[in-house]
Amino acid sequence: MSGEDCDPMDRGENDGQKPDKMFTLKKWNAVAMWSWDVECDTCAICRVQVMDACLRCQGESKKDSYGKQDCVVVWGECNHSFHFCCMSLWVKQNNRCPLCQQEWSIQRMGK
Amino acid sequence: MMSLKPRNVDFTETWAHLKETVAGVVGLRAVERSVWNTRFSDVYALCVAHPEPLADKLYDETRNFLEEHVQGLLQRVRGTVALDNNDHNDGLLTRYVTAWREYSQGVAYLNSLYSYLNLQHVKRQKVSDAEIIYGSSATVTCPEHDARQLEVGELGLEIWERVLVKPLTSALTGRIVNALAAARESPPDPAHASILREAIHSTVQVRAFRVRAPLQLYQQLVLEPYLTAAAAAHAKLAAELLASGDVAHYTKHALAGLDREISLGARFLDSSSAEAVRGCYERAAVAAHLPALHATVHQLMKDAAADLPSASERRVDLRRMYTLLRPLGANALRPLVDAAHAQAAADGQALLALSHNKDEAHTHFVNAMLSLHGKYSKLFGEVFGGAQAFVGALDKACSAVVNSRLPSDGSARAPELLARYCDALLRKRAGGDADVDDKLAAAIVVFKYVDDKDVFQKYYARALARRLIHQLSASMEQEEAMINRLKAACGYEFTNKLHRMFTDVAVSADLNAKFQQHLRDNNLATSTGFFIQVLQAGAWPLGGAMAPLAPPQQLERPARLFEAFYRASFNGRRLAWLHHLCTGDLRTRYTPRLYHISATTPQCALLLSFETVDVWNARELRDSLQLAGDAWHRHLRPLLDAGLLIATGDVGSETEDDTSADATIALNLAFSCKRTKVRLTCANAPNHPGGSSSSNSGTAAEPGETAAHCDDDRKMYLQAAIVRIMKQRKVLRHTELIQEVVSQARGSFAPSVAMIKKCIEALIDKQYLERAPAALDTYSYLA
Repeated sequence: MSGEDCDPMDRGENDGQKPDKMFTLKKWNAVAMWSWDVECDTCAICRVQVMDACLRCQGESKKDSYGKQDCVVVWGECNHSFHFCCMSLWVKQNNRCPLCQQEWSIQRMGK
Repeated sequence: MMSLKPRNVDFTETWAHLKETVAGVVGLRAVERSVWNTRFSDVYALCVAHPEPLADKLYDETRNFLEEHVQGLLQRVRGTVALDNNDHNDGLLTRYVTAWREYSQGVAYLNSLYSYLNLQHVKRQKVSDAEIIYGSSATVTCPEHDARQLEVGELGLEIWERVLVKPLTSALTGRIVNALAAARESPPDPAHASILREAIHSTVQVRAFRVRAPLQLYQQLVLEPYLTAAAAAHAKLAAELLASGDVAHYTKHALAGLDREISLGARFLDSSSAEAVRGCYERAAVAAHLPALHATVHQLMKDAAADLPSASERRVDLRRMYTLLRPLGANALRPLVDAAHAQAAADGQALLALSHNKDEAHTHFVNAMLSLHGKYSKLFGEVFGGAQAFVGALDKACSAVVNSRLPSDGSARAPELLARYCDALLRKRAGGDADVDDKLAAAIVVFKYVDDKDVFQKYYARALARRLIHQLSASMEQEEAMINRLKAACGYEFTNKLHRMFTDVAVSADLNAKFQQHLRDNNLATSTGFFIQVLQAGAWPLGGAMAPLAPPQQLERPARLFEAFYRASFNGRRLAWLHHLCTGDLRTRYTPRLYHISATTPQCALLLSFETVDVWNARELRDSLQLAGDAWHRHLRPLLDAGLLIATGDVGSETEDDTSADATIALNLAFSCKRTKVRLTCANAPNHPGGSSSSNSGTAAEPGETAAHCDDDRKMYLQAAIVRIMKQRKVLRHTELIQEVVSQARGSFAPSVAMIKKCIEALIDKQYLERAPAALDTYSYLA
């Protein structure tokens, strides 16, 4: 990361700018962490953290290879969130949010 | 041509002719073909004679004749010798075998002469095999007194046994046993050998036609007396061997004796006796001396494992000992297995205790274990043919050594050392090791013996995170291969998080490319090189150290651009910057020489604050960057230490969180350093609650913290296991529950019973379980 010195360019660029510049920032190696934008980080249906795959997917991924984040999160109009897998099974029985009993309709899906 | 028609036959006359020929046949004298043919017809004529078939009469007369004939042979065989002197060279055996050769051959011919009688007369009344084996009213009596007729060949053999062998039984037995004993000492000449062999085999052949107990005569006459005599001889030999030399001497000769005995048996005895002969030898010569042999195995094992020139001889001794003991079963081998275990364990402890460089403790540990494992795998493979019991003993010993704890520190160091070993191999190094793959594969050998695999996983995950974030890995292929090896050893669950970390890095590379494209497409290019890694929460062992920071304007722009890009690319995701893990590359412009400074984002922010101002009030600087608490000190300290910044007054310290109001910090305009590249790190945060701030430096402060972490995880794991088991079984006794839990947990750690009990208590408190009202030691599951 600190190894690449593209000096000719560097100079040209700097000479053209303010000579009194104390530092130039050459490179920034940023690290960020993402998580689902949820109020409660546990899925109320399977009791697994929404960041992890739901129980069902964890059980299945033992067989095939891991990798892609297929087990996404879904938000209802009530703003409650669950694993999409868990919720799609839930609504087959009861088309209401398990937490607030409102009619379930999807507000958005995680991607 | 004679007529096939039944006719009147004069029995006396016909039998007189026939008898003459019969005598010639059993005496193996020449019989003319025409005579033979005539006699053949005579048998037929007698069998179908009119008005009465004379078959029964013929049969009786033939039997009488044969009995007489054998009686005569008996006299010939007995000769003039005293029967009870049992001298096997007195010619009795020779005469017996000569008579047997002649008679058995003659009777075989006779059988064909009488084939019509056999076929038409005897066969019809013969009992079937099934009747003989399963018994019927007709076969209750023993065959000797059976009135029913036998085929003539069989009749001849029966008579031989009854008339000739019976009276000579003890004489034959004595001579055969003595001859065999002599043959054991020195092989007899071929003529004698074949006499002996034929004498013995005659006792088998004479009853070979019988379905029931065909070997009875052989067993009574030869095998049993022989084994009795042999056992005494073996016992005497073994006692002499033990008295005259050490165990090596004994094993060598005892094994030679065994081979001799087996080949003796193969040469002279019936093939069915091989097991019995071997067993007899083992009981008499080996099993009887087990205590004496067992007393020596520890020393022998020690000598065989030693690095001395004599070790290879001792190994041969040990192999002989094993060969002798193995057939005697697991109990006879146990002391040998125990000795193998003790020796490997002691050697392992000695290897670990060898002095070594503290910094190389991980290499020392893994190499010691590998050389232990390699040495004893080879030794046991060579000496014991890789027998399961010894492989098991080695595994037990290795596991004991790997997980041994020093009295000084409570927890085993294996997980940490092994993780450090892997880390060192997987990191970029100047040299570049050619056999890294082999070494990593070998590390798995050690890994399999580690009890606390969960602790290893924590150390490994932390080191992996460090390598991935700071791009220190030598090769991503190696990283992935190692994760797959761990997965193969421990399963998907164990490496799940490691794999997610690995995947994040791959996804990030893709994301960066897309982001750069996005910038170009929208003419948003920045002057700063920007590279980002987006990690998923939950998979990385980074703790919660997300110190707030007001980033300088130079960083703000790329950060905002990326956030916008990320939000547009994904849905429902929240992004948090891990500033303490970000690094920036700065270049100084105010120094005569140009310095490259690599530092964390807060440090970059600190430095960039001096873009327009040369001296800051410390407290104001802190507030403007929103660096809170100890983060301020951890990032500032390296800058002061490197001499880039100069503090006047009290800027506070790690322990004392106060920055005095009048302290100032100034940019050191006269900064100089021998190297042009200055790499700043951020100091450790030893007391940060729950946060391991993934700094670059050592693992010194970590073990205690990791242990505490692990304890919590283990409790969760155990509680989950208990609930799973109880949910399935509903009601379970305490001991069974403990057993099940231990067996489930074994893959990742060895739980203590006390901890399991605590978890059960916790679950009872949480009303997952209850003690069954009737029985105290039984739990039931509450749905």
